[in-house]
Amino acid sequence: MRRNLTARVLAEGSVALAIFGWWAMARTLPDFILPGPWDVLKVLVRLFTDTAFLGHTFASFVRVVASVLAAMLIGGLLALLARVVPVLQWVVMRRIQPFLNSFPSVGWAILAVIWLDVSNEAVIFVQVIILIPFCLINISAGLDEIDAEVVEMGRSFTRSPLRLLFRLYLPLLTPYLIAAARISYGIGWKLALVAELFGAENGLGYLMVRAQYTGQTSVVVATCLAIVVIFIVGEKLVIDPLARRFAAR
Amino acid sequence: MPATTASAGLDRRRARWAHGFTLAALAGWGVAGWLLPPYLVAGPDVVAVRALKFFTEPVDALHLAVSFFHVLASVGIAFLLASVLALMNHYWPVTRIMIQHRWYPFLNSFSGIGWAVLAVLWFGPSHLTVLFAISSTLTPFIFVNLREGLEALDKEVLEMGESFGRSRLRRFRLIVLPSLYPFIFAALRIAFGVGWKATLIAELFGTNLGLGYLINVARVEFDGATIFTVIALVVVIVYVTDRYVFAPAQARLSRHYVDA
Repeated sequence: MRRNLTARVLAEGSVALAIFGWWAMARTLPDFILPGPWDVLKVLVRLFTDTAFLGHTFASFVRVVASVLAAMLIGGLLALLARVVPVLQWVVMRRIQPFLNSFPSVGWAILAVIWLDVSNEAVIFVQVIILIPFCLINISAGLDEIDAEVVEMGRSFTRSPLRLLFRLYLPLLTPYLIAAARISYGIGWKLALVAELFGAENGLGYLMVRAQYTGQTSVVVATCLAIVVIFIVGEKLVIDPLARRFAAR
Repeated sequence: MPATTASAGLDRRRARWAHGFTLAALAGWGVAGWLLPPYLVAGPDVVAVRALKFFTEPVDALHLAVSFFHVLASVGIAFLLASVLALMNHYWPVTRIMIQHRWYPFLNSFSGIGWAVLAVLWFGPSHLTVLFAISSTLTPFIFVNLREGLEALDKEVLEMGESFGRSRLRRFRLIVLPSLYPFIFAALRIAFGVGWKATLIAELFGTNLGLGYLINVARVEFDGATIFTVIALVVVIVYVTDRYVFAPAQARLSRHYVDA
């Protein structure tokens, strides 16, 4: 009990100390080098309340959610292809997956602008193509773990592939789908800044780069912190409850 | 025996399909490069000629060498930082909430590009900026692996070690460290791959040397040959190192330290 209290005090104390250190340093430095915590907090609040800023936050949010869903669908289809057509397993797992995994994100961001111009499509393309390998790895791991005897038992109850998919495969795959969504959601938010760096006319990444050019460091820091907040809130309010619900089953 | 033969046959067919896919992809790239202007798609022939310059022209070779230095040095710095955090977290339980529930989620969710932009503002364009941005990105990846390794330590082996000697340092060197090798290796393997991607982002803002700087200049000048070559070099370096250096070495380590 006492140890737990000390651990809590140390944890919260370290956060308080970091903020105090930040405040003390900011007092001695110009705003464009290090803005104070209060200035950053004011911008952070505006990112979620001011309509002009909220538009950027919302644009990034929609793109991240759309990209995660699209990447899960494409990654899932690729994993399924490797499973259903065994001769294609190495094409998917030893060619497509390592290639996508080793391709630099900045490379995709630059190519997307060259190919698709500055647009929503360019940003979503970059995010989806980078997230595919993460979804592919998780969903293939889930497919590998499906017990052949359970599938056989399922087949003895029904011959309908759709019924098997919805009543057997999807429930068994759910923990892996949630793991894929969790990883993709986290990486997707970090990627949003890279993808929007060259290819967007709105969004938090666009806002951050514009703020860097105009020396508004408080906006740069607030944008990064907004992503930390959205990431943590999304995990706690959506992904964690989903994971608990399906783990309980 | 027949099952083994069938499996070997399937593997041969899988390999044929995989090689066929690689050739088809290269052919598709070649056709696209031939039909489209180089700033849209630079073909394999153009990329091969440009890639050769990275090994013959001193200026290009310097950019490649600087990026290698940034990756290796950042992996080293991040490994040191993550080791300190993981060891504190393991041997000093009172710090667990602080490290696992405060510092780690913050570091893990803070964008790499955010670190790069802030580092430029704080330190100006320099090697320090790039190293700071990459190390900050890599530290949480390495920390997670080392923490898992420390948590997976066999309690009975540690207890046995205690019965042989009282020196904590000796027990750490002879028991804990060898048990951590597979996890250390996995951490370095992930960090090397992520490090190259983070390096391009950090060099984009933070320096006037390195492949990231080069790709940014090429972007502004619509120099498709350089853009495609830098991407191809990173893909080849990451893929070849992972497939032919890290994967076999990790398999050997796992056999030696985990299966033993």
